[in-house]
Formats: sequence, structure tokens, C-alpha cells
Amino acid sequence: MKKLLCMVMVLAMVLSLCACGDTTTTDPSKTPGESQNPSSSKEPEASKDPASLPTVTLTVWGGEGEESQAFLKAAVEAFKEANKDKANFDIKIGAESESTVKDTVLADPEAAADVFYMADDQVAALVAAGAIAEVIFETDKVIEENGGQDSGSIKAASVDGKLYAFPATASNGYFMFYNKEYFSEDDVKSFEKMVEVAAAAGKKVSFQMDSGWYLYGFFNGAGLSATLNEDGKTNSCDWNATSGTYTGVQVAESILNLVASEGFTAASDADFQTGIAEGTIIAGVNGTWNAKAAEAAWGENYAATKLPTFNVNGTDVQMSSYAGYKLVAVSNYSENTNYAMALARFLTNYDNQVMRFEMVGEGPSNVQAASSEKVLADPATAALAAQGAYATVQRIGNNFWDPSQTLGTILAQGNPDNIDLQTLLDNAVEGITAPIIE
Amino acid sequence: MMDNKNIPNVETTNQENAAPETSIGFGYKMLRFQKKIVAPTLRHILLALICGFWLIPIVWLVATSFSAYDGVNISRFFPKEWSISAYTRLFNPGDDTANQYLVWFKNTFFIAICTCVISTVFVLCVAYAMSCMRFAGRKFMMKMAMILTMFPGFLSMIIVYMILKTVGLTNSHFGLILCYSAGSGLGYLVAKGFFDTIPVSLREAAKIEGCSEAKIFTHIVVPLSRPIIVYTVISSFLAPWMDFVMAKIMLNSGIATDWTVSIGLYKMLDMTRVNQYFTRFCAGGVLVSIPISLLFILMQKFYVEGITGGAVKG
Repeated sequence: MKKLLCMVMVLAMVLSLCACGDTTTTDPSKTPGESQNPSSSKEPEASKDPASLPTVTLTVWGGEGEESQAFLKAAVEAFKEANKDKANFDIKIGAESESTVKDTVLADPEAAADVFYMADDQVAALVAAGAIAEVIFETDKVIEENGGQDSGSIKAASVDGKLYAFPATASNGYFMFYNKEYFSEDDVKSFEKMVEVAAAAGKKVSFQMDSGWYLYGFFNGAGLSATLNEDGKTNSCDWNATSGTYTGVQVAESILNLVASEGFTAASDADFQTGIAEGTIIAGVNGTWNAKAAEAAWGENYAATKLPTFNVNGTDVQMSSYAGYKLVAVSNYSENTNYAMALARFLTNYDNQVMRFEMVGEGPSNVQAASSEKVLADPATAALAAQGAYATVQRIGNNFWDPSQTLGTILAQGNPDNIDLQTLLDNAVEGITAPIIE
Repeated sequence: MMDNKNIPNVETTNQENAAPETSIGFGYKMLRFQKKIVAPTLRHILLALICGFWLIPIVWLVATSFSAYDGVNISRFFPKEWSISAYTRLFNPGDDTANQYLVWFKNTFFIAICTCVISTVFVLCVAYAMSCMRFAGRKFMMKMAMILTMFPGFLSMIIVYMILKTVGLTNSHFGLILCYSAGSGLGYLVAKGFFDTIPVSLREAAKIEGCSEAKIFTHIVVPLSRPIIVYTVISSFLAPWMDFVMAKIMLNSGIATDWTVSIGLYKMLDMTRVNQYFTRFCAGGVLVSIPISLLFILMQKFYVEGITGGAVKG
């Protein structure tokens, strides 16, 4: 009796597993709530169509924000409409942050969406893992639309001269927000002048000094570089240069000079938002993601411009920055690579880049779209585009972040222990260029 | 004579002791005062302080969830303006597809309830078998179970994911329920300790009357074990209700309607979203604690009895 019961139980468990396995494998797109429906319920739908088109199931991941989800929904509907003669599309829209999508994809590339948005710093790792497919659809046209082979967006989306993703936006850089109530257009040309004005008003100009991403703007502006080596992992960096137009110590000195001002604060992102809402911060270097917060706080006085100059050894030097792009990639494991490519291409064409700009507020990478009047009328996007001339694509290995953050933190505190600046820079460079132990 | 002699003696002793007695009385009163008033007051001040520190984050969370400002504001403890808009918007997402709090809440609740039922049954059955039945390999199995529970669950996560993926159970709430409840029988020790305290004679009597093991379990042991059942129910409800890691690994389709509350709330803290969603995140955090609090308040009496029940075996 007991044995019989055991057998029955075991059988029941095995069967139930098989049953579930079947429904999910034949139709992986189904949400669990629907999985009781037999998959055959779909067939009548397909046969209703006179041409009996194939049913193509795709998943798209985009940012979680309300606006970018709404944009995706609209664009996907347009795609279905434009291609309704080719296939019946069942396109699911998922939410995965563009900045961390790499981690989700690499956790299990096979489970990744067919098409996904990502920030451009993740291309190299995804290509190295073989997770994303090379662009084979209208490649030349895509390159041309985004300003040719040498444009930032194409470079950002390429590895070894091969294009691996469709550029979607040029929105991930940083620039200067300011409150027109306090600054004139001349004031915002120089960082020193800005902190002076802020100090006089008892307010602050913010710059997130303790982040390598921002700190790069000072050093690169002065002609000191930090880039990824050919091996794709280690870095070369000459921030501690003792010769050349400007030395590393001179740059560090001018940073310390800025930090020492009453009108300067090295605010983090959260501090920046709090500061502009409370009125204590009247200008700051940040990205488009804070444009709404700044506009809400300053209203008519809200303005943005390219980064200012800063004074190195008596000369005004234009600050540089990282230019960041959002790209749309196609998974190498997609079962419908062709349709996925077509969808990725569609999401990043002229019309949809303009639509994305209008709905989400992210500037287009498409050259023609970027120079349209509508886009130029938006202060944040225009400022980012103006800064674009001085910006470089982010190509840097992982070892850059921690040492540069340490350096930035010490500088932001005004070098409290009075460490010799050359030693400080030497240490940072040693960390940044350290070999990767595997 | 003796009496006469004694009386002055007593008197003198009384007189002699008169002064000291008052001082002893005073000292005693002081001691009493110290014991009954000072010490408890100090103790309670200390407790109140610890309590205060401990409650700061919770008070902050609740206060912030009622803020009218959407983003992060770290310059003040209490919000500038109060509003319940975070709560109303949490439940009326409109077209905001990545904000499906109600759906997440339902998903989590469904998973937690299913897991709760299944693993409670598992735990009680295993505990009963280990405590009340005698069979070959019982000791060995108990030892193995002991060793298995010592491995951190994280170790098996990737493998569990791979196995469920081949069967096609990732991105399914059923798969998640399976993950949470399948191994739960291993946590039988506390329940076994409780069952050990139920007199053997009761079960023997039942057996003599012709009861099967199943009947002894359902009719004799279970009715006597209310506290431990309550404890098992609470603990097996809490695990899936609060879990993040397993859910994040299993539900990786990116489709917002599949998520559990913890994944959904985590996604609200993304750099690009935190500005608009921080207050809603706090509101979501407050709401998620309500079912747990209710469960605890309702079952508190049994809960204490439950975890200490097995400890006084003897």
C-alpha cells in the first residue's frame, strides 16, 4: 500500500513537471498566469490571417522609466503596423535598466531579450562574451545617418571596427546646469568665475569630484589622457605627467584651487537634487537625467550650457567630458535574429529617435535629427551637443574607477593630509594602469 | 526576676537600637527607592534610547512615504509637505508599465501563500516521521539533513536555475514556489523537538485502538501542536515574502507583470528613475510590511510558545 502510494506520488510529480515543461517550451513568451491555456489556442488566430503568416515572438528591453516604456510601446506598435504584411508579431516589452543590462544579460545570455537598450560602456564586455550580434542590417546606412565612421556614436557602438549595436541616443554625457538668476552668459564660461559668483551669493556650484567619470573632464581637458589599451582590459594613463603643456600637478592644483572656494561643493547625485530643490545649489555639472529636476526647481531661470573653462597655470583650458550613448543591440541567442535586427533598426531610425527625444527627452544620435530645431531648442540637449565637440567616447577598463575615485575624494576634501601632489597622482596612475590578475 | 531582668534588657536594646533602626529604615527605604524607582527608570530610559535609535529608519521610511516630493531629499528628516499621492499613484500606475505594484503584491502574496502551505505540510510530515516513527536509516537521514542545512543556499542557486531552465520553469511563479518549498522539509528540527514532547503513551494508545500513522498524525499529534504549527506557518510565509535574490535570478524576463514586490521596488531605485520614484519606493516598503506585522500581531502569543516549546523537553 505504502509503496503504491509512493509510486503514485512520484509519478504525479514527474508528470506535473513534464506538463509544465511542455507548455512553457512550446511557447516561452507566455506569462505564467496564462500558462494553463493550451498553446493550440493560438493557431486559429494565425490561420484566420489569409496569408497565414508566421508568428514571430520577440522581447524588447528598455529603461524602466515611465516615459521610455511609453515610447517603446508606441514604437513597437508602429513597427507591427509597418511590417504587418511580413509576420504576426508578438512583441513583449520588458523593463531593464540601460545602465545595468549587461549584468542581467551576462548572467544568462540565452535568457536575454532579443533586442535591448544599453549604455555604450557595456558594448566591449557583451561582445567579448559573444552575447550580442554584429549589425548586418543596413549597416552602411546606419553609419552614415549617425555621422560616419569617425563619429562618437559609431565608435561607441563598434569593437575592432565592427558595428555591434544601433546608436539610439546621444544623451549620456554631462554638462553645466545653471540658474540664470545668478549667472550671466559670460559668467558660465569660466569655472573660477562661477564659484566666485556663487560664493558671493552664499550658494554653491556642484561638481561630483569623487567620481572618475566626472574627474576625467579636468585631466582630459588639459591634454592628459586615460584610455583603454588594445587588450581591452588594462588602461594607460598619464595623469601624473611631469612634462608637456600642462603637468598633472598643475591640474591637481587648479582643482584644489576650485575646491577651496566657498562657492564649491562636490555634491553626489542625491545631494545635487536636494540642493537644487532647496535652493542651495545654483549650478552644477550633471546629466540629462536631472534636467527635469533642475527645470522644476528653477523654472524660467533654468539654463544649461557646455562645461566651462578652468584655469591651469594661468591659462583658461576648456574642460572635456565623457560622451555617452544609448545603443540598441540584438542578442546573439535570438531565435529570430532577422526580425530582431529589423526591430532594432526600426527603433533607432530618424522618426523614432525624434519621437524618443520628444517623449523621453534624450537627444538623438542621428545627425539630421540632432540638428533639427526642436532638439536644439531644448537647453539640456543643446548643451550636451555643444559639449560634444570637447567630449570623448568612454573607453576605459574597470581598473580606472576605484583609483580615480580615491584621487577625486582626496582632492574634493582639499587634500587634508597635505600629501605631495605628485605622489598622489603617481599612486592613482599606478592603480589605474595596474595589470589585471585573472 | 527573669522577666524583670529581661524587660529592661529589651528596653535598653530597643533604646540602643532606636537610632540605628531609623537609619536602617532610612537605608532600607533608600534601597527600596533605588530598587523600585531609580533602577527601572534608568533601565527604561536606556531601553527607550535603544528603541529610539532602532526606530529612526522606520519612522523616516514612513514619514518619507508621505512626502509630496517625488525624489530623494536628504537635507531634512521630515518632509516639507505632506501628501498621500505616493500611495495613490502606486495603485494607479496608468500607462506606467514598469510600475505594477498591485500586480507585484498579488504575485508575491500568491507565491508566499502557496509556499507557506506546501512547506508547512513538508516540515510537519518530516518532523513527525523523524520524531515519532522508527525506521532504518532514520539517524543517518537526520545527520545528512543536518549537514545539508549547513551549506548556504546561495551555493545551489546557479544549479537550481540551470535545472529549472532545462525544464522551462524559469520566469514562472510555479518554479519559484518549487524553489522555496522543495527543500523546506530540511528545516524540521524545531518541529521535531516539539513533537518529541508529546507523550509516547498517547500515540501508543491510539495505535492499540487501531490508528494508522496518518491518523495518529492528523488526529493526535497535530491538534496538540498548535504553537509549532503557527511558528512553521509564519516562518515559511516570511521566507518567500521577503526574498529578493532567488526571485531576481528566477524571474529574469524583464516583464514587469511577472515581478515580485522586492524586484519591483529594487528597480525603482535605478539611477534614472530614483528622482521620480523614491517616495513611491518608500510607500511600497511601508505597505509590504503590513501583512507581516498583522501576521505577527495575530499570532504573537503562539509564536513565543512555539519556539520555546521544544526547549523544555524533560
